[in-house]
Amino acid sequence: MTTLTTTPDGTAARRPVPPTAPAARRSPRQGGTVLAVPALVWYLVFMVGPMIAIFVIAALRWPGMLQPVSFAGFGNVRTVLDDPVFWDAVANTAVQLAVALPVMVVCAYMLGYYVAQRPPGHRVIRYLLFIPGLISTPAKAMVFYAALSPDGLVNGALQGVGLGSLTDAWLASPSTALACLIALDVWSGIGFTAVLFAARLGSVPGELGEAAQLDGAGHWRTMWTVHFPVIRDYVGVVTMLQFLWTLFGSAQHVLLLTQGGPGTSSTTLSFLVYQKAFIAADLGYSQTVGVFLFLTGLVGLLAIRRVFRQTY
Amino acid sequence: MKLGKRWLPAHVLVWTYAVLLVVPLYYFLASAFKSNDEIFDRPFAPPASLGLGNFRTAFDSADLGLAVVNSGLVTVFSLALTLLLAIPAAFALARSTGRVAGVIEKVFSLGFLIPTFAALFPTFLLAAATGLFHTRTFMVLFLPATALPLSVVILVQFMRTVPAEMEEAARLDGASTFAVLRHIYAPMCLPGIATVLLLNFLTFWNEYLYSLVIIGPDPAQRTVQVALPTLKSITGTDYGVLTAGTVLTLVPVWVVYTVLQKRMQRALVSGAVKM
Repeated sequence: MTTLTTTPDGTAARRPVPPTAPAARRSPRQGGTVLAVPALVWYLVFMVGPMIAIFVIAALRWPGMLQPVSFAGFGNVRTVLDDPVFWDAVANTAVQLAVALPVMVVCAYMLGYYVAQRPPGHRVIRYLLFIPGLISTPAKAMVFYAALSPDGLVNGALQGVGLGSLTDAWLASPSTALACLIALDVWSGIGFTAVLFAARLGSVPGELGEAAQLDGAGHWRTMWTVHFPVIRDYVGVVTMLQFLWTLFGSAQHVLLLTQGGPGTSSTTLSFLVYQKAFIAADLGYSQTVGVFLFLTGLVGLLAIRRVFRQTY
Repeated sequence: MKLGKRWLPAHVLVWTYAVLLVVPLYYFLASAFKSNDEIFDRPFAPPASLGLGNFRTAFDSADLGLAVVNSGLVTVFSLALTLLLAIPAAFALARSTGRVAGVIEKVFSLGFLIPTFAALFPTFLLAAATGLFHTRTFMVLFLPATALPLSVVILVQFMRTVPAEMEEAARLDGASTFAVLRHIYAPMCLPGIATVLLLNFLTFWNEYLYSLVIIGPDPAQRTVQVALPTLKSITGTDYGVLTAGTVLTLVPVWVVYTVLQKRMQRALVSGAVKM
C-alpha cells in the first residue's frame, strides 16, 4: 500500500534538487534528500515487497513449493473458512488476547506506578524487570520448557509443599497447554511493559500527584483518576504494541513449546501461518490466514486507538 | 509522595513478581552445573560443584562455539549495514523541509505497523529467488531492513537537535554535504547512534524465527538461537546441558546490559515508544 504512494513521489524527488543551487545561499540545510534513498529502497525491497506478496500468494492455489501454481481467487478463503482447525486457532488466539492483554496492561501499569514512586529498592526492581526484555525467545521458551516439564521446577515445587496431586505434564496436557503459553506471555510482558510505564510516569509533574494527595486522595485514587488519564494515550500505544506482539509473536512460543498440540489445543493464528507454510506446505492457505491475521491486526490497532483516545 | 503502611500489599506483590522473575533464572543457572538426577531430586539446591562439563557437552553436541561465531558475524555486519543506511537517511530527512522528505519520513514511521513476522514466507521466497537461501548473507541484508524504520526515526529526532548555525559555519568554510555529516552531525548524534546500536544489537542477537527458516539447520551457518532449541532433542533432554547452553547465549547480552545498564534501559524504552 505504501509503495503506491511513494513511487510517484520518489520520481518527484529530483524536482527540488536543481532549484537548491540558488536557494543554497538562503538555507544551507538544503540538498541531500537523495541520501535517504538507499535506506528507502532497502526497506521497500525487504519489508514492503514481501508484505504485498502475502496478498498475492493468498489468491493462489499453491499446494507445495515445487507444485504448479494456479490462480484461486477467493478459493483459499472458502477452504480456510470451512476448516475447523482455523476456527480452533481463532478461538485460541481470542482467548490468548482476551486474557493476556488486560492482565498484562493493568498489572504493568500498577507495577510501573509503584516503581515510579521510588519505593525502597526500586533500582533493584527496575534492573530485574528488564530481564525478560533481554532474553531471546528460544531462551525464554527453554526456561519454561525446563520449568514445566514433568520433572521440572513447577512440579518439584508442588511436591515440595505437599501438593503432589496437582502435578501435571503442563505442556502436554490439552487443558493447560494454551494456559502455559499465555503465562509465558504475561510473565515476560509485565516487567518490560512496567518499565515503559514507569519511564512515562516519571515525566508526569510531581505536583499533580501531591495536589491530589492534599485533597485527600489515596494512592489508589491518585493512580487511577489522576495519573492514568494523563498518560492515557501512552497506555494506548503500549497496549497496541503488546497486542501486536501477542498476535504475531505467539508463533515462536508455540513452535518451541507445544507445536500447536496436543491436537489443536494450542494452535494460534500466527502458528497456523507458519505450520501451513513450512510443515504442511499449503502455501495459499497459509498466506490467506496471513492476510486474515494482518487485517485482524489492523482492526485491533484502530479499535485500541479509539478506546484510548485522549478525552480531555 | 509518602508511602504509607497501606502499601504493604503492593510491596509484597511487586517483590513476589520479582522473585518469579529471578527463580527460573536461578534454577537455570544452578541446573547448568548439575546432572539430570540432581536437578530432579533437588531443583532448588545450589550445585554441588562448579564443573564445566555441561557447558563442554553443550558446546560439542550442538556446535555452539561455531553458532556463537555465526551469531556474532550476523549481528556485527547487520549493525554496520543498519548504521550505513540509517545515518545518511536520518541526516537527509532531518535537514530537508521539502514535501518529499516528509513523505519518506511518513513511510518509515508506517513501518512500525508492519508486523515482520507476517511476511515470513514471502521473505523466504525472496531469499530463494536471490540464491541466498540457507546463508547468513541474506540475514545480514534482511535484518537492517527490519531495523530501519525505528533506527531512522530515532536518529532523525537526534539530528533535529543539531543547531543550523553549526552547519552554516561549516558551509562557509567550504565543507561538503558529506563533510557536514561526518564532522558535525555524526559526532553530535553519538548518543542517538549508541541507542540505535544497543537496540538493534539486542534484536539481531536474539532473532529466532527468520534465522530458523532462512539460515536453516546447517551447523556451519546457523546462529545460537537456532542451535539452542536443538539441545532439547539431541541430548534426549539432558536438562543440565540444555540450561548450560541457554546460559551461554545469555552471557553476551547480560554483560552488555550490566555494563551499560542505564543506557540500555533508555535504548529499550525509546525503542518501544516508537509509535
